[in-house]
Amino acid sequence: GSLLGDLHYTREGVPVLIVGHHILYGKVVQLEKPFAVLVKRGAGEAGPEGLPACYTVTALIKTKLLFKTRPKPIITNVPKKV
Amino acid sequence: MRNRSEVDATLQTAKLNAAELLPVVHCLSFGPQAGAGECCLLQLEPGLCAELEAGRSLVIRGEKDEHAVLCSKDKTYDMKIADTSNMLLFVPGCKTPEQLNADQASCNIIHSQIAGFSNHYWELRRCRPKLKKLRKLLMEDPYEGPDSQKDQTFSKYTTEDLLSLIQASEEEILHQLQVLSACKIEGYWRILEFDYEMKLLNHVTQLVDSESWSLSKVPLRSCLEELGSLEPTEMIEHILLSYGRKYVDDGEVYFEMHEDKTCRAIAQMLLQNAVKFNLSEFQEVWQQSVPEGMTTRLDQLKGLALMDKSSRPETISLLKVEDLPENNQERFNSLFSIREKWTEVDITPYIQDLCAEKQTVGALLTKYARSSMQNGVRVYNSRRPIS
Repeated sequence: GSLLGDLHYTREGVPVLIVGHHILYGKVVQLEKPFAVLVKRGAGEAGPEGLPACYTVTALIKTKLLFKTRPKPIITNVPKKV
Repeated sequence: MRNRSEVDATLQTAKLNAAELLPVVHCLSFGPQAGAGECCLLQLEPGLCAELEAGRSLVIRGEKDEHAVLCSKDKTYDMKIADTSNMLLFVPGCKTPEQLNADQASCNIIHSQIAGFSNHYWELRRCRPKLKKLRKLLMEDPYEGPDSQKDQTFSKYTTEDLLSLIQASEEEILHQLQVLSACKIEGYWRILEFDYEMKLLNHVTQLVDSESWSLSKVPLRSCLEELGSLEPTEMIEHILLSYGRKYVDDGEVYFEMHEDKTCRAIAQMLLQNAVKFNLSEFQEVWQQSVPEGMTTRLDQLKGLALMDKSSRPETISLLKVEDLPENNQERFNSLFSIREKWTEVDITPYIQDLCAEKQTVGALLTKYARSSMQNGVRVYNSRRPIS
């Protein structure tokens, strides 16, 4: 799949995300209210046959990395044309 | 796939000092199903999360014209879509700094896939179970007794039927069935038609009287023997369970008759025969109508009858809270169209059931009514004109 970027952590535990030409600093957040990730079972089957729709909880998310500060641009040196 | 030297090159370009960072990097890329949008997020309270982790399921209930609710085994929640302020990317297996420090693995690249993303989620808010529909369904065909000449109707509901039609958790539904004194007849939940219920109750109280039993020690066996020829034994037992507290003494089953519930039922029987009654006349007839040994009290009629202390003579009439709308604003509109100004004491029994988990009657009145003083007493009236 296509690349998003690199995720590093500082020794103090601060997440650092490098996406394209940007650096984002974030923080680790423990979710007070976890998220359940629901996937509809039998998503491809057509027509109701009396079988009720069913969602499977495929994951429980209890931690997130929050990047809400403004991305810092990475300035690369562009060699001068001679 | 990205390798370590590419990662290091990026760090250099970004002017980040590798020495200030943990050695492990996550290289994030979008997984094959990431864009499919097949998953959605549901926000959980810790209690619900624990339910799922314990292996239990949650159920979403509602017909096409209803707002969906989510039910655990004993609670009901309104569902609403909320936006997240940022886009959320789901990265299974992404490690936190604590996990990385604890794990002494030798590799320093983790290739992580973004499994999906979302910018909205289902938000849950605990709500009152929507139980008015339960009574409405069961009242479609009340049970009038085995001798009833009524045609077979198909308005009968099993537990499974109710679970798919009522927006409430199973425990809340079963509890309400008990409150309604409903019983299962041939696998279907039935409410007794009021006259039939009173007929059954009367059989019992007459028997108690003629046998001179104590109202707190009514023997099941004798009731079934004496009354079994008049009514089905299941019905006799049902009425005892509805109006009494079951206990065992010396191997025999007895019932302690419930004074408040019995007096209240008899009051309803009297009040439904006319629009309004002279209060003092009613009180006299009522006391004479209840079993000997039971005492009637006006506070037994909360949520069943309304007294008018301002009229001369004072009157009383039937007003059942279960006949009023379930929605808060509609309930208040209905109450204010019945009476313009209410004292808190009078209105409380008719709004108590609207209170949310930690809400008080006072909070409801503040929100839906306007207060004023009348003859030194605080009264509440509508915030808007009622036609």
